[in-house]
Amino acid sequence: MVPVPPAIASLTRPAENLFTYYFLRALATLPALPITLPLLYFRYHTMRYEFSPEGIRMSWGVLFRHEIVLNYARIQDIHLRSNAIERWLGLARIEIQTASGSSSAEMVLEGIPDPAAMRDFLYDRMRGASTPTADPNASLAAILHEIAAEMRALRLALNPEAPPLHPHG
Amino acid sequence: MVNAIEQLLLGWLRVPPEPAPPEGAPGSLLLFRAGRNYWRWRLLCWAGAQAALLLLVLLPLLLSRPQPLPAGLTTLLLLLYPLQALFTFFAQRLDYRLRWYIVTDRSLRIRAGLWSVSETTMTFANIQDLRITADPLQGALGLADLEVSSAGGSVSKEPGASPTHLARFAGIDNAEALRDLLLARLKRYRDSGLGDRPEAAPLTAEAAARELLAETRALRAALYPKTSS
Repeated sequence: MVPVPPAIASLTRPAENLFTYYFLRALATLPALPITLPLLYFRYHTMRYEFSPEGIRMSWGVLFRHEIVLNYARIQDIHLRSNAIERWLGLARIEIQTASGSSSAEMVLEGIPDPAAMRDFLYDRMRGASTPTADPNASLAAILHEIAAEMRALRLALNPEAPPLHPHG
Repeated sequence: MVNAIEQLLLGWLRVPPEPAPPEGAPGSLLLFRAGRNYWRWRLLCWAGAQAALLLLVLLPLLLSRPQPLPAGLTTLLLLLYPLQALFTFFAQRLDYRLRWYIVTDRSLRIRAGLWSVSETTMTFANIQDLRITADPLQGALGLADLEVSSAGGSVSKEPGASPTHLARFAGIDNAEALRDLLLARLKRYRDSGLGDRPEAAPLTAEAAARELLAETRALRAALYPKTSS
């Protein structure tokens, strides 16, 4: 298990700018401000992250509590999205997809201080990003195959008329 | 002049510079842009939409005989029309310029967008299907869209929902070649969903060890025929 870099392991709360963004978002819903602002306020203040060697745990909410746990190895695609307001605040959303049926993102990481570094961290651990060979013992298999070939050459040198052995026999 | 305005706009909207390629084998990196004709295609679509707006909305409004529009509204419409035309023209131009496609030996990355910047990273291990589409106009210009989807939910039908599980190489002029390249790279993932190739089973360590055992036995039999079991 590859350890999580300290900068990411120590990340448990979203950046403070996220609340600024939430505030602007609530302002944009002008007539609904009395509803959206408290919702986003509690969402921001209860949002917690936990990056373990296996996966991510994210939780938020007071009355309606949400908690999502997903494994890095199940990540299918990573979307790094931001609008101009978020970029002015130095924010970006990282939307993570797994193979589950929903069409929206399974997890949206918000308020990550360095989104590009987080994307690279997730990419390194997502499905299919490491060595493309399916079998981790592929090089061992290749060496064994070569030793067998040497043995065969030795046997044929002793007895050139020897019948060929059926491989894997 | 146009470039200066664009630079100002890009700085003002804090559009990040060119995307960084995802990690992959050196030499496998392929970075390209939408085809040169993609810009012409967008321009034609834009011109068509502008003409339709002018002929079907603006002119009927201005020439409505029985009840002519108030003078103030007419002036407003005549001011707004060129303004939106200019604005959408720049949007087309920047959509073409702010579009990057990156392919490595194990993943692809697509960056697009001006106001809302979106960067999608997908590994080949997760790809389910590839689809090439082209409308007649795109076909005439030698363009096509290549869509790559991964397992999971379909594209949401809700308006405004961003398509996930989908990476779209829009307006490329090498769609067939890129599809062949992606298929070749997909073949290394035997469970990637495009079907297994039974004849391409890789040599496992166990099979190789069995082969070695058989050879060693045969060698002993050849050296000491009497003791062979």
